[in-house]
Amino acid sequence: MINKSRAVLSMFERLRIRAGKALLHGDRIWQALTVGMGLGVLLLILWIGWILWQDSPEARSAFGLSFLLPSLDASWNPVLDKFQAWPFIYGTLITSAAAILLALPISLGIGIFLAELCPAWLRLPLGWMLELLAAIPSVVFGLWGIFVFLPRIVEPIGAALGSALGPLPLLGAFFTGPIPVSGASRLAAALILTIMIVPTITAVTRDVFLAIPRSQREAAFALGATEWETISQVLVPYGLSGILGAVILGLGRALGETMAVTMVIGNSIEGTLSLLRPGYTMSSIIANEFAEAVSVLHSQALIEIGLLLFFITLLLNLVARFLVWRVARRSPQQEVRG
Amino acid sequence: MRKNMFFAVALITLTGLLLSACGGAAPATVEVTRAVNQTVVVTPTSDPNAATPLAPGSVQINGAGATFPLPVYSAWTYAYKYVDPAVVINYQGIGSGGGKKAIIDGTVDFAGSDSLLKDEEYTSGKDLQMYPMLAGAVVPIYNIKWAQDFASGANAPALVLDRQTLVDIYNAKVTRWNDPKILATNPDLADYLPNSAITAVHRSDGSGTTEIFTKSLTSFSTDWTAGGASAIEWPVDKAGNGMGGKGNQGVAAAVINTPNAIGYVELSYAISNGMTYASMINKAGKTVVANAASLNAAMSDFAGAFSDKLTATIVDASGAGSWPIAGYTYIILHTQNMPDCVKAQKLLEFLRWAVTDPSAGQQASDLGYSVLPAAVRDTVLSKLGEVTCKGTAVLH
Repeated sequence: MINKSRAVLSMFERLRIRAGKALLHGDRIWQALTVGMGLGVLLLILWIGWILWQDSPEARSAFGLSFLLPSLDASWNPVLDKFQAWPFIYGTLITSAAAILLALPISLGIGIFLAELCPAWLRLPLGWMLELLAAIPSVVFGLWGIFVFLPRIVEPIGAALGSALGPLPLLGAFFTGPIPVSGASRLAAALILTIMIVPTITAVTRDVFLAIPRSQREAAFALGATEWETISQVLVPYGLSGILGAVILGLGRALGETMAVTMVIGNSIEGTLSLLRPGYTMSSIIANEFAEAVSVLHSQALIEIGLLLFFITLLLNLVARFLVWRVARRSPQQEVRG
Repeated sequence: MRKNMFFAVALITLTGLLLSACGGAAPATVEVTRAVNQTVVVTPTSDPNAATPLAPGSVQINGAGATFPLPVYSAWTYAYKYVDPAVVINYQGIGSGGGKKAIIDGTVDFAGSDSLLKDEEYTSGKDLQMYPMLAGAVVPIYNIKWAQDFASGANAPALVLDRQTLVDIYNAKVTRWNDPKILATNPDLADYLPNSAITAVHRSDGSGTTEIFTKSLTSFSTDWTAGGASAIEWPVDKAGNGMGGKGNQGVAAAVINTPNAIGYVELSYAISNGMTYASMINKAGKTVVANAASLNAAMSDFAGAFSDKLTATIVDASGAGSWPIAGYTYIILHTQNMPDCVKAQKLLEFLRWAVTDPSAGQQASDLGYSVLPAAVRDTVLSKLGEVTCKGTAVLH
């Protein structure tokens, strides 16, 4: 009896020692865990892409390339099962591009102000406000947009843009009005997106500037540079790769934003290029129609749009990463870091 | 080294905890099912009156589908807790398409749908059957910036549209408010209707409301070639006079914010938000206002029109007092293959209560829907009586 329990005890003892030894190599376990998690993300992305591809075979074979080719006369007709994605691709690209173009100078300005010029007592509250802006749910932006921003601000701006830029030869195509009286238009979507991505880009830009070593500024001042020259010729080039990274983050949010855009863009596939007319985006059409897409071709066409959005996001991210890499290779930051 | 080890152990423990937490839910479900099955064994199916009362909340019934009847179903499921405390009913408004997929896949006990099952869906679900539950009306709402003010204290009279004009507006054939076709049906408003462009607002999301509206347009005139479905390609969009709003509230907001716009929403939504809506001249040539009576008249006109699938369209009814833009919303059930007979019985009891109980009907009409007229209700009840579970009739 005693012998037996002793044997059991010693078996436990041995097991404990063995487990202890195994756990001594905690580094290895830790490494395996982190590598596993990293691979998990990669697998997840591949899996999402694969599912989207696998679930849209009939739409892909039925429409082929005509699904995504540019066409001002594109149709999206669930009754006749005839689908073309161009109006949505164009809507997503033009609203995101306009939003980035508008948000970049604003964010850069706020970022520089917060990091370089802002008095210390204002820096913290201003930073908080900015983060608060980033935390507002998009449906709230949409509601505010419908009832306040669109009729009071977007519509007058749109009307002014239409009369000023509309008659121009090439650029005019993007500003042919009239903008709807409610303000619902691609311009409205672009402006709402701008407000939504400014906090993201600003926060990262500010951190980039704060991370630039003091020595860079001191060296510039020592050479007799003014504050403006220091910022524009030393700090901005130094932080360029970080700023580009911020733009990628903003672009990601702009491309995928659904709710706010759906509420303000007008949801119409009217065949124009104009920013002042109602449009549609890829994420909006999926959100709008997927729940009630009854026919096989209809739901597969929506899944194919999801696939396209997935690829476009991936592609734009790759291009942006490449830009960051190019810039980083040339920038002095790399030399400092060795 | 020690620190590393501690870290690793902590991580592994944490992962284990998480896993066990995730796995925890499954056994609980098993328990519930077992309890229910035991009751089945005890209860002789031939005599349901002798059934031992089930524990409160022990029968979970899940439904999903159309958002059109969601306000009523929510009110009903809430009220039904007091009728039969053993039953808990969840209804999720995921859209008619989603509901139909769910009932075919067997992930819900019943589905709600505004659109009809297709023939191939009947075969893929084998024993599916649709039952009309309620009817709803769709009304044109408008926001006209009148050319001159009305006499002080006087309200603008409701706009009257005939069926062809409504089609023409959404076809972008009638594009101004002072178009002769609109003036013809609104002689009182001749001096007030402005010479302004009409913006036609439609739902951007696929919806049963759109299906009822576009099916009506299809029936009103052969000029309407865009079809009738939950989402269509709008001729007004192509013409540049259209705009889409997400949900009833999106359409309402677009109409309110756009001077000289027209849109369409469910009657219940227009009523609960105090919106002005247009009257229509129906097939009989009479001007009708959308309300419970005109909706009921439309249903009665079509009471004999039910197919053996128990479906009927009630758009463009011919009666003098019938509202022309209306539709049924349906419940879809499996009629033979419901896996759990206790659940089947409870579900059917709930549906019988919903179509027959006066308080249930009152709740529906308070929300702007119309309950089934007696003739239709009897058809539905007799069809519900045909549902079987494991070969035995469920309702007695």
